[in-house]
Amino acid sequence: MTFTLGRRQFLMGSSALAAAGAFGTLSPAQAADVHLRLYWWGGQARADRTNAVSDLYAKANPGFTYDKEFNAFNDYWPKLGTQVAGGNAPDVFQMDYRYIVEYAKRGAVQALDDYIGGALKLDDFDEDQIEGGRVDGKLYAISLGANSVAMMVNKTAFEAAGMDLPTRDWSYDDYKQRAEEFNAKSGGMRLLADGSQNGDPPLENWLRQRGKSLYTADGQIAFDADDMVEFFKLWADLRAANVCVGPEDQALDATAAIDTTMITLGKAATSFANSNQLIGFQAVNKNELTMVNFPRAAAGSGGGHYRKPSQFWSVNPKSALLEDAVKYVSFFVNDVDAGLVLGVERGIPCSAAVRAALAPTLSPPDLLSLNFVSNLGDLLGKLPPSPPAAAGEVATQLVTTAQAIAFGQTTPEDAGPAFVQDATDILARAANKG
Amino acid sequence: MTARSISAGSAVERAVTPSVWSRIWAENGAGYLFLLPWFIGFFGLTIAPIVSSLYLSFTNFDMLTPPRWVGLDNYVRMFTHDPKFSQSMKVTLLFVVFSVPLKLAFALSIALLLNRGMKGLPIYRAIFYLPSLLGASVAIAVLWRTLFAGDGLINKGLAVFGIVGPSWISNPRYSLWTLIALAVWQFGSPMIIFLAGLRQIPQDLYEAASLDGASRWRIFWKVTLPLLTPVVFFNAIIQTIEGFKSFTPAFIISGGTGNPVNSTLFYTLYLYQEAFAFFRMGYASALAWVLLAIVALFTGVSFLTSRFWVHYDD
Repeated sequence: MTFTLGRRQFLMGSSALAAAGAFGTLSPAQAADVHLRLYWWGGQARADRTNAVSDLYAKANPGFTYDKEFNAFNDYWPKLGTQVAGGNAPDVFQMDYRYIVEYAKRGAVQALDDYIGGALKLDDFDEDQIEGGRVDGKLYAISLGANSVAMMVNKTAFEAAGMDLPTRDWSYDDYKQRAEEFNAKSGGMRLLADGSQNGDPPLENWLRQRGKSLYTADGQIAFDADDMVEFFKLWADLRAANVCVGPEDQALDATAAIDTTMITLGKAATSFANSNQLIGFQAVNKNELTMVNFPRAAAGSGGGHYRKPSQFWSVNPKSALLEDAVKYVSFFVNDVDAGLVLGVERGIPCSAAVRAALAPTLSPPDLLSLNFVSNLGDLLGKLPPSPPAAAGEVATQLVTTAQAIAFGQTTPEDAGPAFVQDATDILARAANKG
Repeated sequence: MTARSISAGSAVERAVTPSVWSRIWAENGAGYLFLLPWFIGFFGLTIAPIVSSLYLSFTNFDMLTPPRWVGLDNYVRMFTHDPKFSQSMKVTLLFVVFSVPLKLAFALSIALLLNRGMKGLPIYRAIFYLPSLLGASVAIAVLWRTLFAGDGLINKGLAVFGIVGPSWISNPRYSLWTLIALAVWQFGSPMIIFLAGLRQIPQDLYEAASLDGASRWRIFWKVTLPLLTPVVFFNAIIQTIEGFKSFTPAFIISGGTGNPVNSTLFYTLYLYQEAFAFFRMGYASALAWVLLAIVALFTGVSFLTSRFWVHYDD
């Protein structure tokens, strides 16, 4: 076979290519002892802060260089998944409470227990935030800040209507009683967004106040058809009484991105969100915003909120620089100067020393965010187990079902059992694939 | 071409050598070398992914763990218990069945108007083609979203006549129709092809017809349309395939959800969700192959029926 002639030439060509590639990767390695790849989701504000911390770290550790990449939350996961599958995941990447179990069980994130006390300092780190990064007793992720669900409140709209701002004691009934007065002066704006079509946080909060929860520790649903019928009825009732926005308006908010939320579109005076998002919401809202807890299910019922790790750093177990990656993460969450740069943009810092240094420097909305999470009081319940892998899909189905009710295609009585069935099927299918 | 025919003689002389490859190499080596970048792209970025997606369609694959063989499970599930599959199929078929004929009718009418030898034809042609250039872009979908929102331009226009319009894009009763309207509005490329087709029709046929006293209407049905059927056929096939593949408008307008109440859940959007929101690459691959089969079926049936209504008389 004289085919070798062609192949030899081909090989020559490809080895030249390989050599060129080798030179490409060689140069940064020569320039620096430690080169880490970082990947996270978030906007420009987060990127600026993250880069500033990386630069601080480089100053303290000569020879440190980094590659960085960031993406919107929805684009982040496909890309990370592809990289993990291809064996070229970044050294340090952001992780979410929703995905931590899946990644930990698949061995895609490094267990960090062996580094504690060494490269990883967690001396004054909040215990509940450490716990949030554990899966089956092992620590897989370091919380970058605590947050809680919260409702953004359009202060200006309440003042224009001549009404008091919502307080921490308001229940859904309290909002309902004030709706008529508010609507008379609001020019079409409603008090609430439709919480049944806002993903699962309003449902979870409502269930927890009634002593239930979304998921059990082994990843099954922890609510039943009666709960769902009652929840759907609550919202049907709030829609009928014009307390919350109508379905056509609510459907404009397809993805719960800040700029399409009901408060930003001027359709509602409040929106369901997270405490660390006040900065982001205020940036796109002309009116002055403040924050209040989700409504109480009944007067005096508490325990719906919890201090959730808003996001984590995780380390790639296949990283060639494991120790350095862990050191970087430790610096990120413990260094006071780093903490001052980061502020509360990723939630309330988990290190007590960082918090103490940060508090006097905060702007009023940042301070509001810090105080909100620190002073939840009777609203605070314990951290629920991390949700099962398919929780996101269940939340998507919840929105579709709630929309079908709101548009009159089904009733709360039929939709309750149907949704429980759908959720059970989704979880069973996800469990099967493992 | 000439290079090949010249070397054909020498190839016969050297036919005694056992290797076909060395002969090919000697004759066309340089050519293949120049084609190499394309070959690498074609095999690496097109053929290999197609083949692996066929394999993946028989597996469960979440990208974190290796694919697991499940045989026909994905296909069986699709046709037996996946309400979202049937919903997305329904939405897509509705979209294709309404948008394609409407778009072609629109394109043909405008082409007929433009073909009447008016002044400044290139300018009009460009103007009518413009929406198609912007066609699948994100910007247009965003514009559409703004136009058809509850307080958008469309409803402001209706308000002049005292009509209170719904929020078209966020009401499951109308949302699909706004997407059909968007598709019909982008009639530019079939229009250009129709225009070219109209130019091909011999003028003497029109002269003969009008000498015989045929009305314009009759001339259209008896001369223009029959002679244009190959172009109609071509446009119908291309637009049908485009219709099945349509993704961007629904993705942008529904924020990637296919909502309200799955009313804009295009097949491709469902496929995207399965792959990139729920990380079921195996199932998504199976969906992709079923889409290919459906498009092939539609195209095949069109070709089979074409001999009854498409006239090729040269």
